[in-house]
Amino acid sequence: MNSNPDVVDTGLSPAAGRGPAYSIQRAYAGFMMWLISRLLQAASAVDPVIRRDIDRLPDDFSFSMRVRSGSPSMTMIKVGDRLRAIPSSARPQAALVFGFKHVAHAFLVMSFQESTPRAFANDRLAVDGDFACAMKIMRSLNRMQALVLPRFIAVRALKAYPPIGVVEKLGLAARIYGRLLIEFFKRD
Amino acid sequence: MSKEYFEFVCPVKMVAGFRALEHIPFELDTRGSVRPMIVSDKGVVGAGLVDIVVQAITSAGGQVGPVFDDVPPDSSMDAVNAGAAIYLESGCDAIIAVGGGSVMDTAKAMNIMATEGGGDPRRYAGYNNLKHRLKPYIAVPTTAGTGSEVTAISVIKDTDAGMKTFYFSQFLMPDVAVLDPRMTLKLPPMITAATAMDAMTHAVEAFTCLAKNPLSDAYAEAAVGRIAKWLVPVLQNPDDARGRLELAQAAAMAGIAFSNSPVGLVHALAHTIGAMYGVHHGAANSIFLPYVLEFNLPASRAEIGELLFHLAGAEDFAGTPVERRAEAAIARIVELKEAAHAICGLPRTLAETGKIQKEDLPKIAEASLDDGTVVMNPVDVTFEDALAVLERAWGG
Repeated sequence: MNSNPDVVDTGLSPAAGRGPAYSIQRAYAGFMMWLISRLLQAASAVDPVIRRDIDRLPDDFSFSMRVRSGSPSMTMIKVGDRLRAIPSSARPQAALVFGFKHVAHAFLVMSFQESTPRAFANDRLAVDGDFACAMKIMRSLNRMQALVLPRFIAVRALKAYPPIGVVEKLGLAARIYGRLLIEFFKRD
Repeated sequence: MSKEYFEFVCPVKMVAGFRALEHIPFELDTRGSVRPMIVSDKGVVGAGLVDIVVQAITSAGGQVGPVFDDVPPDSSMDAVNAGAAIYLESGCDAIIAVGGGSVMDTAKAMNIMATEGGGDPRRYAGYNNLKHRLKPYIAVPTTAGTGSEVTAISVIKDTDAGMKTFYFSQFLMPDVAVLDPRMTLKLPPMITAATAMDAMTHAVEAFTCLAKNPLSDAYAEAAVGRIAKWLVPVLQNPDDARGRLELAQAAAMAGIAFSNSPVGLVHALAHTIGAMYGVHHGAANSIFLPYVLEFNLPASRAEIGELLFHLAGAEDFAGTPVERRAEAAIARIVELKEAAHAICGLPRTLAETGKIQKEDLPKIAEASLDDGTVVMNPVDVTFEDALAVLERAWGG
């Protein structure tokens, strides 16, 4: 709380706005985009709910999520009824783009300080492309977050936590994280 | 928690009232325009409304370029290309759209091509892909509902691509919106009711959905109050020019509100049954509005309750306990629907549209979840939720 009435409380930490703060936010958002794309790739392989939505996307569909300046970013393509993460340079013109206006806005969402719907409502995040495809990707992202995040974190990211049983959640989460690890070590 | 934040934009000059059309020559002159092209459709031209606009300009010594009246009911990319070609060939220097949402949306996309000198309009489709101001554009709405005269959006049916192409940019907004009661006086009662309830839905959803903000709230509240007060009197007396003007102003206010606080589940469902069964957009919004508000009560009880003041007046608001205001506000909207149904047959339920089979409701529920407006709804919407709302709306 700001106890001095002459000083406006901006809610910003003293470090906000300085170069190093942005660098940290950029690095964190970049890591989270890498992680989200790999988790969504794994989730689209094991969860029938996500696969059903992915299956209904057009063939050769691609989407990217990025900060408007271009970096950091993540890009995924549809392969069959699954999604695969690819380097953003391999598909610079994705069919659908989720764009954050600024790295600080991406950081807000990816650090679970602001939900995705709230980011849209606050004009920090925008969709460029077909909305029907965007809704399928957003549902898949929401479902993936509900599966892999502890409930107390997931409720900060989602408008509503879906009715998933504990056994179902733990089983799917184990398979998603297992695939993530396998893919990670396979790559190396 | 992040701090509160909002954005609001409306650079459109409103020219509203009796003899408002006679201000068009001044607005053209101050923008350096001497040869505007008029964009309209055959119904509007046939009703003599374009003649009224042309007379208002020529009687002041102004000139009017060609009249392009080939805009189809759902707009079209072909009309955008054809109109832009005529604009460029004829040496025009401004666009005046005289018509409803389809005409105004088509004119917005036409203005891109008129400014860029031709080419493929799809190149500029999408979110904020325009980088500079366009040619002077004056919108003269002939319905009181869509709000397109104050929005930054244009949706164009693209038959070749088999989809609707979406444009969003603040540069698409008209320079001037002219609201003159002569433009809506001859609207049939059914269209008057459907478009007014469309505007009511724009305002109510802007006021209750996630992007609501202090400025959009102000416009939404003003719009709700005007529509609640004037809809029934205008339906009872269609020649009431004052009431027509109030509804036109309300539609513009609602347009400003939802342009800055996008709509939610009502529109997702209405878009879906409009695309699948051709149900009039305003009639569809009117059908769904109370049922979606009931569904949204857990998240929006306070906001819906606040609307009672504008829907029913200060006395009813003060006389209703706080905890019952939301239900009373919904009941007041149902009363408006009932009155419109009694006067002009505006459908109250999906069954009354006569266009939908009950066994199709699951298909509609599934398709509605792919509509982007669902994101802004205050309550998360599942297939089961959408189906439950549809079943409530089926028979009332």
